[in-house]
Amino acid sequence: MKKLLSLLLVLALLAALGTAALAQDDDGDMLGFEFTDEQIEASPYLQSVLSRLDETYDTSDFAKDGPYRIALAAQGTSNAWSALFDAHANWYVEHLGEDVVAELLYGDAQASADIQVPQVEDLLAQEPDALILVPMGAAALSAPVERAMMQGVPVVLCASAVETDNFVTEVGTNLWVVGASLAQYVVDQLGGEGNVAFMTGIPGVTTSDIMEEGAQAVFDANPGINILDKQPGFWSPADAKGIMETWLVQYGDEIDGIWSGGAQMSQGIISAYLDAGLDIPPIGGGEWQNGFLRLALEHDIKYLAWQYPNAMITMCIDAALQILAGEPIARFIDFSGVIPNSEPFTDVEGADYFREEWSDDVHGPITMPDEKLAELGFTTMDDG
Amino acid sequence: MSLTKTYQAPIADKRWKTRKFVADYGVYIALLILLLAGAVLTPKLYSVDTIAVVMRQASQLGIVAIGQTLVLLVAGLDLSVGGIFIMTSVVVAEVGNGRDEMVIPAIATALALGALVGLGNGLLVTKRRVPPFVATLGMLVLVKGATQAYTRGVPGGFVPEVLGIVNRSWSFLSIPLVLWLGLSAVFIFILRGTSYGRRVYAVGSNMEAARLSGIPVDLIRISVYVLGSLFAVISGVVLTGYVLYVDRFIGSGLDLDSIAAAVVGGTAFVGGRGGLLGTIAGVLIIQILSTMVVLLGLDVEVQFIIKGLVILGAVTLYSVANVES
Repeated sequence: MKKLLSLLLVLALLAALGTAALAQDDDGDMLGFEFTDEQIEASPYLQSVLSRLDETYDTSDFAKDGPYRIALAAQGTSNAWSALFDAHANWYVEHLGEDVVAELLYGDAQASADIQVPQVEDLLAQEPDALILVPMGAAALSAPVERAMMQGVPVVLCASAVETDNFVTEVGTNLWVVGASLAQYVVDQLGGEGNVAFMTGIPGVTTSDIMEEGAQAVFDANPGINILDKQPGFWSPADAKGIMETWLVQYGDEIDGIWSGGAQMSQGIISAYLDAGLDIPPIGGGEWQNGFLRLALEHDIKYLAWQYPNAMITMCIDAALQILAGEPIARFIDFSGVIPNSEPFTDVEGADYFREEWSDDVHGPITMPDEKLAELGFTTMDDG
Repeated sequence: MSLTKTYQAPIADKRWKTRKFVADYGVYIALLILLLAGAVLTPKLYSVDTIAVVMRQASQLGIVAIGQTLVLLVAGLDLSVGGIFIMTSVVVAEVGNGRDEMVIPAIATALALGALVGLGNGLLVTKRRVPPFVATLGMLVLVKGATQAYTRGVPGGFVPEVLGIVNRSWSFLSIPLVLWLGLSAVFIFILRGTSYGRRVYAVGSNMEAARLSGIPVDLIRISVYVLGSLFAVISGVVLTGYVLYVDRFIGSGLDLDSIAAAVVGGTAFVGGRGGLLGTIAGVLIIQILSTMVVLLGLDVEVQFIIKGLVILGAVTLYSVANVES
C-alpha cells in the first residue's frame, strides 16, 4: 500500500512538472511578465532561460533500472533555508522508499563554491546515477557539471544556474523576472513616479546579480522613477539596517519605495524605520519567511513577496527520477505554481501565509509533515 | 667622521621627531582630515541624526576593538571573536527565547561561554606555545562548528524584545555608545594607571624581560585573551539587540575590522605599543568612511578600496616611524 501511494505521489508530481513546463508559453512571457527585445538581448541569463523553455532533453541514454543512488551537492549547513532544503530532501527520499532511491549521497558546501568544486568531484567518484547540484557559483561549477555529463551522470541544477548549457535540466524560477516583478510592484505603488532606495544582495553572487539586473531594467524603463542610491545589504539584517539608517538620515521621508533583494534585508530595513519612527514605504522584496511576515503584519507594511521554496528539492529529486526513467524532460522547470502556495504574494494575503507556531527563520512553503518540522526545532509549540 | 656626525645629528633628530609625532598623533590627524572632508563632501554627516547613527554603529565595532587592542598589546591576535558573535546571538535567543526576564541569565551564559573560549585561547598560546594566529583561528572554527552542531544549522528561539533598547537614541547618545565609551575609559585608566596595565605593556614589549622581572607573563596573557572574548560577547549582545534576530552571519567582517581599527589607531602587531585612545580614533575612521560612502552614493567596492588604503597607509606610516625610532 505504501509503495502504491509512493508511486502515485511520484506520478502526480511528474504530471505536475509536465503541466508546469507546458504552462510556460513560448513567446517570452513568464509569470505575466513580458520582455522587450532589448531586455532579452542585454541578458545572457534571460536568453538561456527563454531558449530552454522550448526545449526538452532526450534522456533515453540515461535510462536505467532502480533503485537509484542519487548525489546531492547542496548548499549545506549554512542557514535555515538550506537546513530546511536538506530536511525536505531527506524526508522525501525516505518517503519514496529504498526501492526508489537506495541512497542519497550528500555533499555539504557550507555555501562556498571553493568547497563545492572538489566535493562534486568526490561525489562523482562514487559513481552516482544522477547528480542534483545547488550551484554555489555559476562560473566555478561549470567545469564540474561538464565533467559529470561527460562521465554519463545526468545533472539536475537545483535553485540556481551555471554558465555552461551542458546539463539536463534546471529547477528554479526566472530570477530576472523575480527582480523585475518586485521593481514593477514598487513602480505601480508609486504610480510611476517617486524616489526609490535600491538594496541588492551580495555583489557577484549569481542569484543576486540576476535579480538586480531584472529590477534595474524595469526602473530604467520608468523615467519617473529616481533611484536615490543602490547599495548591497549582503543578505544580512545587520548590514541592511546599517545602510537603511544612513539612507534615512540622508533622505528621510523622501524615500517613496524600497527594492530589497531578500527578506533578511527587509527585516533590517523595517527595523531601521521603526527605530527612526518614520512611516514605512512599500517594499518590493519580502519572502515567505515567518520573521518577515510577523514584522510586516505587526506594522501593517505594504510589500510584494517573492518565493524561493526550499521544498523545490522534491521537484529536483523527481526530475532526477524522470531522467533515470528515460522520459523526456523540460530543460527549465519553474516551481512556481507546482509547489502549493509558491506564487508571489502581497501584504493583502500575507496573514494567510504567516504561521504563529513557526520560528522566525522558517521559509515556507513546507511540504513535509508538521511533525518533521517540530522534530527539527523549527516550531515554538513546546515553548507555550 | 665626527664632524659629519655633529653636522647630521640635528637633521636626523628633526626627522625622527617628525616621524614620532606622526606615529603618535597620525591617527588623530587622519580623523581630523576625514571630518573636514566630511564637512565639505557630506555636510549631512554633522546632523544629530547622522552622528547618532555613526556612533551607534561605531559602538558595535568599538566594544570588540577594546578587547582586540588588549590582545594586540601583548603581541597576540584574536580571530575567534567572529565565532563568539554568532555563539552569543544563538545563546541569547536560545536561553532568552523571547522572555525579557531571561535576558540576564542569557547574557550571563554567553559571558561564561565567552570566558571559556578566551581561556582556551590563552592556554593554547601560553602553555602549548601555539602561535596566536593559529590558536585563535582554530578556536574560531571550533566555536562556529560547535554552534552549528548545537543548532544543526538552524538557530532557534527568539531574541528578548528588551534588548531592542540598544536601538534607542537620546540626541546622539545611545546605550551602545555609553557602553563603548564607558568601557574604554575604564580600560584606559587600567592600562595607564594600574600595575596590571603596566604589566600588559611590559609583556608586549619584551616577554623575556618581563618574565625575568617577576611578572606572571602567562597569567597576564591569558587574562587579556579572556577579556578579549568577554568584549566580543558584549559586542555580540549589542549586535543581537540591534537586529533583534538570530543571525548565523552576525558580525561578519567586524572581527577583521576590530584588528584594523586597533592597527590604524597605532597599536603595534608586535605588542607593547599603542592604546585605546588610538583605537577609538581608528574605529571612528572606519565607521565614518563607511557612512560617507553611503551618503555619497558610492559603490561599496570604493569603501573596501578606501578602507584597504587607510589600513595600508597607517601600517606603512607606523612601520617607518618605528624603524626610525
